[in-house]
Amino acid sequence: MIDHDRTAGTASRSRVWTGLGSLPGLLPLVLLLGLWQVLGSPDSPFFPAPSSWWPALFTRGQGDKILPAVFDTIRTFGLGLSIATILGVSLGLLVGASRRVGRAMGPTFEFARALPPAAVVPVATLLLGFDESMKVVVVVLAALWPILLNTSSGVAELPPTLLDTARSLRLSKTATVFRVLLPSVMPAIVLGVRVATPIALVITLLVEYLTAVNGVGALVGEAQRTFQPARVYALIVIAGLISLCVNSVVRSIEDAVRRRRVGDLR
Amino acid sequence: MEPSNAPIRSNPLGVAVLLGLAGLWEVLVRFKIAELQFLPAPSEIAVAARETLVGGELIERVVHTLGVTILGWSVASVIGVCLGVLLGLSPVAYRYSMTSFEVTRAIPPITFVPAALLIFGFSLKMELVLVIYGGIWPVLINTIGGVRSIPSELRDVGRMLRLSRTETIKKVVLPAALPSVVVGLRLALSLCLVLAIVAEMVGNPAGIGNGLISARQALQPALMFVYVIVAGLLGVALNSTLRAAARLILPGNAAKDVAL
Repeated sequence: MIDHDRTAGTASRSRVWTGLGSLPGLLPLVLLLGLWQVLGSPDSPFFPAPSSWWPALFTRGQGDKILPAVFDTIRTFGLGLSIATILGVSLGLLVGASRRVGRAMGPTFEFARALPPAAVVPVATLLLGFDESMKVVVVVLAALWPILLNTSSGVAELPPTLLDTARSLRLSKTATVFRVLLPSVMPAIVLGVRVATPIALVITLLVEYLTAVNGVGALVGEAQRTFQPARVYALIVIAGLISLCVNSVVRSIEDAVRRRRVGDLR
Repeated sequence: MEPSNAPIRSNPLGVAVLLGLAGLWEVLVRFKIAELQFLPAPSEIAVAARETLVGGELIERVVHTLGVTILGWSVASVIGVCLGVLLGLSPVAYRYSMTSFEVTRAIPPITFVPAALLIFGFSLKMELVLVIYGGIWPVLINTIGGVRSIPSELRDVGRMLRLSRTETIKKVVLPAALPSVVVGLRLALSLCLVLAIVAEMVGNPAGIGNGLISARQALQPALMFVYVIVAGLLGVALNSTLRAAARLILPGNAAKDVAL
């Protein structure tokens, strides 16, 4: 699992923010939007011209819904990812430290991980109702797995001498966990969180869209049901911007952790 | 320690835990210890499962969802691999398009559901387009990564043997990039299943997703749980089929490398 995520991770390492060198790469997107602008009309029911997107955010007095929706989405996402991280790391440490627990929980985790998060949404709304906590629960259920699996394989791959050292230094159990185990598994944890980040955001938007409970996802759904295509596209752009921001924040945290670790080794 | 590597057959302890959890659930609901109004007991779910299985409805829905997932995933894989090889091999194409792909990829595919609904209406077409669109990304990104990380000596060998361009791709590039491609295919497959179910829930009235929503609206929680469990089993089945296929195709070490 850890290798597979690492492969996907290095391949997907974004080059968007590496400076001017990446600008030529925007050419196809700019061309596409330009063509769309020239050929599309603002009233097209399917492909309204890009210039009509921004104004569509503010028509019919809907402008003041945007910012609260963005905050709602980010709050659900942040809360869900944080809980998933705490839960995933603790369960991952447990499962990774003991082969027995790992085997015992194997099939249960395998099944829970394979559950498509979308399928969980109707159940969650039925059992928990249409509110904020339901949204967070669904996000946690989806974002938990990459963190859990990366943590547990991180623990399992630790050199046994490390724990032996802790034992010969007579460190207490808590000291071993916080001063030996967690720091050495940190890179694996951070990797798991990075993989979980886009998942958490997608699921946040999905829950909002399916249940119409607050947030950007709910706004997109509303715009679609009321046939405002330009507004739909504008909100898609906003969702993309949120995703770019969130991903680059998580990535810089990851880089900081890596750098600190390299500093430690020196 | 990788839970997903433990085959269910040889893991009686794991199966026992799973059954034990189901038993606990049954007891909690039976004796009303868990106060959740709509939570059915596992035995009720089993009864509902038998009814819809006998009625033929379950099979019909599973066939639909499975068909769309596999069809969409296949199309997405072909497009993703072809485009990925092109972008991985040509520095010019890479330089003049990669940022566009990165930016577009950042937009969560879920947000395209409303746009697809506006454009294609409530139809099978909408479901397929969505599944294909979502499935392309992991395949594309992992193929590019795989092709670009091929050591240059390997490509030199192809040149030295005077292989033609197509032959180089077929005999050198694709085999070398295969482990990474397989990772992309696997990620894409689970994503395609999710997108198919989402599309069925909101757009195309067929398949498991629609079954879930209808059961929800008819206030039949037991039936709803049947579809949730079937969706999970479908995920497990697709994943392990692909894993088995990958073990057959990939040479031993490569299979270990991608941690299948």
